[in-house]
Amino acid sequence: MANYYNIDDILAEEEFVPVVFHKAANGVVIDPSSETNSVEQGAKVELPLWLAQELYLRQAISISVPACFSQRTRLEIQADAACVDLKSRSPYFYEFGCKIAPLVGDKTIEILLLSAFKIRYKEILTKAYTAVFTTTSKFLTLLTKEETNLYEAAQASMAAFKKWRMGGPRLQRASVLGRKRKPLD
Amino acid sequence: MAGQSDPHISLFSAEEVEFMAEDELIEIVPNLRMDPLNFICGDFGPFLPQIATQVPFWLAVALKKRGKCAIRPPQWMSVENLTQVLERERESQGAFQVLPFHYVEISRLLFDHARDDIPDMYMVRSLIEDIRDVRIHKVETSLEKFSGTSAVKIPNLSAMEVNIIRPFVGRALQAFYKHDNPEKIPDVDRPSSAQTRVANNEPRRPLRR
Repeated sequence: MANYYNIDDILAEEEFVPVVFHKAANGVVIDPSSETNSVEQGAKVELPLWLAQELYLRQAISISVPACFSQRTRLEIQADAACVDLKSRSPYFYEFGCKIAPLVGDKTIEILLLSAFKIRYKEILTKAYTAVFTTTSKFLTLLTKEETNLYEAAQASMAAFKKWRMGGPRLQRASVLGRKRKPLD
Repeated sequence: MAGQSDPHISLFSAEEVEFMAEDELIEIVPNLRMDPLNFICGDFGPFLPQIATQVPFWLAVALKKRGKCAIRPPQWMSVENLTQVLERERESQGAFQVLPFHYVEISRLLFDHARDDIPDMYMVRSLIEDIRDVRIHKVETSLEKFSGTSAVKIPNLSAMEVNIIRPFVGRALQAFYKHDNPEKIPDVDRPSSAQTRVANNEPRRPLRR
C-alpha cells in the first residue's frame, strides 16, 4: 500500500498469486472449483495479491512464487531480457515482483528484476529517442506497464521539443477574441 | 518552481524553457533615444542611437519587432567558433563542449526575429543544428552507460537538452533505485531528482541591482 491513489499500484495488486490455505474457511466463495461455499485446509487457490497479503499476515495461508517468476521465465530473461514478453506474464512485472518478494521470502526475485530492467532499459532508451514509431510497435507489445510509461515519457518530451523547433504560431488567439458580442436587450 | 504544463510529462515545456532563456542579456544597437528603463531585474539604458547597450532578450526582441534596434549576435555565434565547437564535439565522445546554457533557445529566437542581424545566417543555422544533433545523440549514448546508479553527472548540458531527457531519466533512475534497494522504496514520485543535480552545476545568477 505504498501509494493509495495510484491506479497502477492498485492494478498491480490485482495480480493473482497461488496460495495454500492453512485453515479451513467457511462461507466464502474464494475457490470456484469447490462445490460448497467453503475452503478446506490445504486447498490450493489463486488469490489476488491484496487479499493474499492480508490473509498471509493473519497466518491463514502460505504464498508460493507466482508463475511469472518461474524458473522458465528466469532462464528466458537470462538468455535475452530484451526479447522476453513480460507483458503477457504480468503487465506490472516489476511492481508485482517488488510486492511479492518479501511475502515469499525470495531474494532472487529482486536480483532478477534488476538484471532484467538493466538490459531492457537500454533497449527502451535506444528505441524511444531514435527509432520511428512504426518499427517499434512490435517491440511495444513486449513492454510492461512500467516500461511503457518510461518509453512514452521519452517519446513525448522528444516530440514536444521537435514541435517547438518546427515553430508554428507563437501567439495563439484567445477563444474569446473575435466573437461577436450579443446585442443587449 | 514548477512549470504550468502537464507535470507528469515534463516539468517544463519547451516554450517555458524558451521563456526562461529570454532573461539572458544580449547587446543591441538602438536607433532611438530613450531614457533608462528601471525593472525589478535591473536598470537598462539609456538608449542612444548607435551606442550599444545590454538588455534582456525579451526587451531586445520587442524593440526589434518595432524596428527600433539591431541585435548584435553573441560572440559564440560566429561561423569560426561554431565550426570549432562542432569539430571538438565530434572528436570527443564523452565530454560536452562549453556552450551557453540556453544556446538552443537563443539561437532559435535570433533566427526567428533577427535574421538580418546575423552574418552568414544559413551557415550559422546549419552549424547550430548539427551541434545540437550531435550533442543529443551523445546524451543518449552516455545514458546507455549507466546502470544501477542513483546519480548521474553529465557536465555542460544545456537547458533544452536537460529538459528533453528529464522525464525519461527521472523515471529510469527511480526504477533503478527501487530495484537496487528493495527496503527503501521511495513513496513519492520524484521525477526530477537527477536533473536538478545536473542543472545546479550552472552557477546561480543573483538578481541584478
